[in-house]
Amino acid sequence: MQIQPILAALRRHRLATLLITLQIALACAVLSNASFLISQRISRMHAPSGVDNAQLAEVSVEGFAPDQASNVNARMLAMLRGTAGVSSAALINAVPFGDPAANAGIKLDPSEQGTHGVMHFYVGGPGAFQALGLKVVEGRAPQAGDYQPVADFTPKQAPVVITRALATSLWPQGHPLGKSIWIGSRRFRVIGVVKGLIRPAPFTSSNRPAQGSIFVPGQPGPQLVGRYLIRVATGQMDSVLERVRKAVRQMGPQVVLDEAQTASVESLHSSYFQTDRSMVALLLGVVAALLLVTALGMVGLASFWVSQRTRQIGVRRALGATQGAILRYFQTENLLIVSAGIALGVVMAFALNVLLMQYYEVPRLPLGYLPVGALALWLLGQLAVLSPALRASRVPPVVATRSV
Amino acid sequence: MLKMTHLSKVYRTEVVETYALRDFSIDVKEGEFVAVTGPSGSGKTTFLTIAGLLETFTGGSYHLDGVDVSHLNDNARSKIRNEKIGFIFQAFNLIPDLNVYDNVEVPLRYRGMKAAERKKRIMESLERVGLSSRLKHYPAELSGGQQQRVAIARALAGSPRLLLADEPTGNLDTQMARGVMELLEDIHREGATIVMVTHDPELATRAQRNVHVIDGQVVDVAEDRVFSTSQLAEHSPA
Ligand SMILES: Nc1ncnc2c1ncn2[C@@H]1O[C@H](COP(=O)(O)OP(=O)(O)OP(=O)(O)O)[C@@H](O)[C@H]1O
Ligand SMILES: [Mg+2]
Repeated sequence: MQIQPILAALRRHRLATLLITLQIALACAVLSNASFLISQRISRMHAPSGVDNAQLAEVSVEGFAPDQASNVNARMLAMLRGTAGVSSAALINAVPFGDPAANAGIKLDPSEQGTHGVMHFYVGGPGAFQALGLKVVEGRAPQAGDYQPVADFTPKQAPVVITRALATSLWPQGHPLGKSIWIGSRRFRVIGVVKGLIRPAPFTSSNRPAQGSIFVPGQPGPQLVGRYLIRVATGQMDSVLERVRKAVRQMGPQVVLDEAQTASVESLHSSYFQTDRSMVALLLGVVAALLLVTALGMVGLASFWVSQRTRQIGVRRALGATQGAILRYFQTENLLIVSAGIALGVVMAFALNVLLMQYYEVPRLPLGYLPVGALALWLLGQLAVLSPALRASRVPPVVATRSV
Repeated sequence: MLKMTHLSKVYRTEVVETYALRDFSIDVKEGEFVAVTGPSGSGKTTFLTIAGLLETFTGGSYHLDGVDVSHLNDNARSKIRNEKIGFIFQAFNLIPDLNVYDNVEVPLRYRGMKAAERKKRIMESLERVGLSSRLKHYPAELSGGQQQRVAIARALAGSPRLLLADEPTGNLDTQMARGVMELLEDIHREGATIVMVTHDPELATRAQRNVHVIDGQVVDVAEDRVFSTSQLAEHSPA
């Protein structure tokens, strides 16, 4: 109801109004984009891996000659299975959040042009599938006769188990069982579908879906050697890994532990998302600083205007304004300025997003993040203006007669 | 209309207590035009701010339009100021950020009046003071006399029963002062009660009644006829 005269008065203070509006617009644009980036990172960190991160670990060794493969595998598996706290151990080429081992572009037909994206092939020896604890939702798990010799990263052909997300994206109509996946001339037949299994290095690019994992049963041998998956009883991870390190040291100079890759899936997860965590912290810092500066700007301007208008506030009181009317005047004024800033900020938010999309792998800003920025700024504005507005409402009407 | 009995007003600072008004009694009847005179610092403005409910008083009683105002809360006082009282200040006190039209509209908005009614009243009162052609002007673009006429229009727009003017011509030259005074006389003839503080004895003589204040007290209430007659006698050439 007071909007028209408030706008009329603001028109007399164009520069200050414009500057604070721009500041709010900038804050809105950065806030929308930053909150989007932050929530994207956080949701990545919380993406389900499909396995028990806390109970699984990778043990990785190197340093041996290729002809030692069978010997090393036998000794390592025996040692791991004999370690207290280890409930199962198996060969595997990679684990979630560890180093990827076999990424390949897949086709549904060898004659197809282009691929259906780059998937990760988890090649696991007997017991690996069970040790991972994968939940079969369709078809079956690999059986004894399914384990084929590995040649150049994967068996030449093999039955495979894929994730439900991958099955749905490859065959939206369903019925993935019995279908074939090709890498060049290598053919993999789908025998089962599991609920989920995240690839070792998820979220690297859009044609590498996080759930783009294919489990291939493989025979231990010269090409499946040195990396082991162990399942550990709850709460014993640290002590088990300590025992394993000690045992590997005693195995002789040909077998050397890969320290970085010998870790629980949980700690691999934590290192994998280290940069994302730093990014989130940085963005939160930027957002906090920006909100603070914007709030201070609004407090400062409102305080200045209240002092500058002390006399006219007194006059308004003399003419019949209640304290509430004066309070509402400044609150409404702030609301109008912030709203103008938000309107401009929305445009700037999309511009900033387009810029980010050009230089970084950032998706389009979902519309839902705009109200987040807008709401935060409206609240911030009302909070910032509250104290100056209350001060204004307490200007006594007698100010009108007592000239300063 | 306005009745103060044994009213006092004390300003307290850390060091001194100033009695701005003491044992101050006055009774202004409906439709009267009263001029308040007195030396500087005698308490004229203080009287006016208390009369206009801009300030509270320390002792005594004050009835405005039959209502004892001492127990009213801030909102009730604001409402009375808005509906019953029109203020005219020495320094005009127009709002510099608003144009003439918007300035006159201020008290009407606080009354919650509909836009059409506001417009009608604004136009009427600006017409009344002869400034209906300056709606879009800002106060800084008007002469002092014009600004005071806008302020009078603003005071009139809400049709108040009581007009309080604190040296309305104090910042104006003689010619502009005369214009403003004539306007006030017109308004009075139409039925408004006017209390005007002035330093100018010539203006005071044009009021119905003069009240002289010294040291926060009414010292002499001269009936208009008596006062005017003596003034006329003094000034008559014969
Ligand atoms: N806020 C205040 N605090 C302390 N003393 C005050 C205050 N306001 C007014 N006074 C004192 O009250 C007395 C009356 O002041 P008031 O302004 O009413 O005088 P006045 O008759 O209007 O004078 P003038 O003709 O100069 O305008 C003066 O002594 C003044 O110093
Ligand atoms: Mg005075």
